[in-house]
Amino acid sequence: MTTITSKVCIVGDFAVGKTSVVERFVTNQFSDKYLTTVGVKIDTKEIDLPDTDVRHKLVLWDVAGSDRFGDKEFAYLRGAAGLVFVADGTRFGTVDSALQLRGQIDERYGPIPSVILLNKHDLASEWTVSEERIGELGLVFADVYRTSAKTGEEVESALLRLASSIVETTLSDAP
Amino acid sequence: MKLPQVVVEHLQSDFLAETRPFCVLIDANHRVVDTWGDGEWLGLAGLPAGTDLFEYAPYLLGTLDEGPFRLNFVSSPAGAVMNLVTIPHKDQHYAVFLDARRAHDDLQKKQQVSNEAVLLQANQLKLIARQRDLIAELVEAKVELNHHRRDMERTSAGKTRFIAMMSHEFRTPLASIVNYSDLALEKDSGLEEMRKSIEAISRSSRHLTSLVDAILDEARLDAGHVTLRERDFDLLELLDDLSAMMAPLAAEKGLSYATRVDADVPTHIRADDVCLRQILINLLGNAVKFTEEGGIRLYISCSDGRLVASVADTGPGISLEDQERVFRAFERGGNLQSIRSGAGLGLTITLGLAELMRGEISLDSTPGLGCTVTVYVPIVAVDDVVESEAPLPVPDASVFAVQGTTVLLCDDDEDMVALLEHYLHRAGYALITTESGAEAVEKAAAYQPDAVIMDINVPGLSGLDAARELRDKDYAGPIIAHTASKLSAEDQATFTRYFRKPAAMNELLMTIKSLTSNHAA
Ligand SMILES: Nc1nc2c(ncn2[C@@H]2O[C@H](COP(=O)(O)OP(=O)(O)O)[C@@H](O)[C@H]2O)c(=O)[nH]1
Ligand SMILES: [Mg+2]
Repeated sequence: MTTITSKVCIVGDFAVGKTSVVERFVTNQFSDKYLTTVGVKIDTKEIDLPDTDVRHKLVLWDVAGSDRFGDKEFAYLRGAAGLVFVADGTRFGTVDSALQLRGQIDERYGPIPSVILLNKHDLASEWTVSEERIGELGLVFADVYRTSAKTGEEVESALLRLASSIVETTLSDAP
Repeated sequence: MKLPQVVVEHLQSDFLAETRPFCVLIDANHRVVDTWGDGEWLGLAGLPAGTDLFEYAPYLLGTLDEGPFRLNFVSSPAGAVMNLVTIPHKDQHYAVFLDARRAHDDLQKKQQVSNEAVLLQANQLKLIARQRDLIAELVEAKVELNHHRRDMERTSAGKTRFIAMMSHEFRTPLASIVNYSDLALEKDSGLEEMRKSIEAISRSSRHLTSLVDAILDEARLDAGHVTLRERDFDLLELLDDLSAMMAPLAAEKGLSYATRVDADVPTHIRADDVCLRQILINLLGNAVKFTEEGGIRLYISCSDGRLVASVADTGPGISLEDQERVFRAFERGGNLQSIRSGAGLGLTITLGLAELMRGEISLDSTPGLGCTVTVYVPIVAVDDVVESEAPLPVPDASVFAVQGTTVLLCDDDEDMVALLEHYLHRAGYALITTESGAEAVEKAAAYQPDAVIMDINVPGLSGLDAARELRDKDYAGPIIAHTASKLSAEDQATFTRYFRKPAAMNELLMTIKSLTSNHAA
């Protein structure tokens, strides 16, 4: 049994559901209560790659969302093998933030395997993000997911998809 | 200034107590070489040399670079909150963990408040936006509602207009019926006078019947207008009828009444006679009503394929103001409320009827000296009139029954029973009368009459159900519906024949005769 360990950072505006997505993914739980994350919150989750005896250990960095991502925040991203961008479908401004952040990270670290989660899909009727905008996201992100940390919708699929992208990238980068 | 040792020691001990530093020296493969301090609060106490530190502190991944590196407020899976510093030393690294719980919690509280405030504000904005949307929707709904209301008001105004129009149209023949009946019932009225009265009543009744026909046609009930029904008819006969109707009303008020017809006016014409009759009744009726002295003249001529009918009176006339109002009201679609005088009302309706006939009306009046209203309607002269559509032929006495034929009659209207009794007896039928559906079924079963005449709206079991029951009981004779109601095709099929009241007695008798002779044969 071999183990690959990857650092995955969850980024996005505050209160879009980053902490909730991680909690759903790691412990399969959800809380309605909002508790602001300060700094970074580390969690791990191991997944077995199908049809292999390889174990993939994801070290999840739930990075506190803030309006401006400064040097301190970028420092958290050092060595990340994958990125999870999270936006809140009920606040279209959070999609803009995610796109902007993606640009800044690309500039600093170059391309890193990423997925974007349009979260709070359980509140679809209150969404303010147009289908058109979602379509545009598809041009920037290879994988766009409509998720709900509350119901669990698509959370696991999105993260497993990212995990396999990371594995593919790692293998192709290997000498 | 250089700090004295005592101050430095003080600061050092405060810092150590606050941050509880734990230092680990690791090699290039992040294996533990040595440790310093207490790792208890981190869950890293008692790490044996040679252990892979990443196993226990996965968050170190990506932090071991060339220069010193610092991360603040890292929450470990075990629940510790630390500031993390890595410092390279030769080809090894020092990893320093500092307890940051207190500062983290203080910052967290502040951040929580400020984030919640932002979220609250965003929510408020969203609520305001939604409110605005709702208000917009509300306004839209209200506009639509107003629209519907106006539509409904228009429709209802149309209905009101229609009812006003119809009640007006009904009133003249009704007046004739009422007055002539009174006249006929007077003790000293002679036979000839009585006969004339009854003829007048009969004419007016027939006119009423055609009015009812005209409006009760479902399509016509809607929208308040009557459609044109042209037929060939005898104009002189119509004018005679009008004279017979109007002259006595004029005479009653001591007014003269005269009709003049130009020689070139064709006798037989094609037009909507009900409409024309109504127009003239309205104009003449108004003239009689508003004239107190002098007389009324009806003058008929012909020009350019149009019939020209002038009604002149010597009444008070219509003021210019009222004339204008009449025509304006008509153009506006007839807001009758603004017209107070009956003359005006009649005129507005008459204008509508004339328009329907593709005709025109002109009005010439000098207040105080009288009024002349002229109607122009297109007509076609025809050679002869086939009296196929004569409204209701009067029954003749030549429809005698086959000897010993019995008819069962079911009707709860005494007058109707008396009338039918009269005609049926005169024709030689034996008669069984019943007043309810149940009674009719019972007696028909008991006496097996040769025919049944059935009203539909009778007390208890309806005529329709009674007819069905009779058929169930194998009654084989003809059952004739004679009713004021309109029957659906399906209901009509229950009966041998269907007559709508008022029915032509002649036809009813002929039908009974032919049905019963078949039956007897
Ligand atoms: N309805 C709904 N609420 C969510 C969802 N995900 C997160 N939340 C709520 O959104 C708020 C912010 O979530 P959190 O995970 O703390 O956001 P973070 O600041 O991005 O880590 C919390 O009150 C959560 O309960 C979701 O999928 N649906
Ligand atoms: Mg969070």
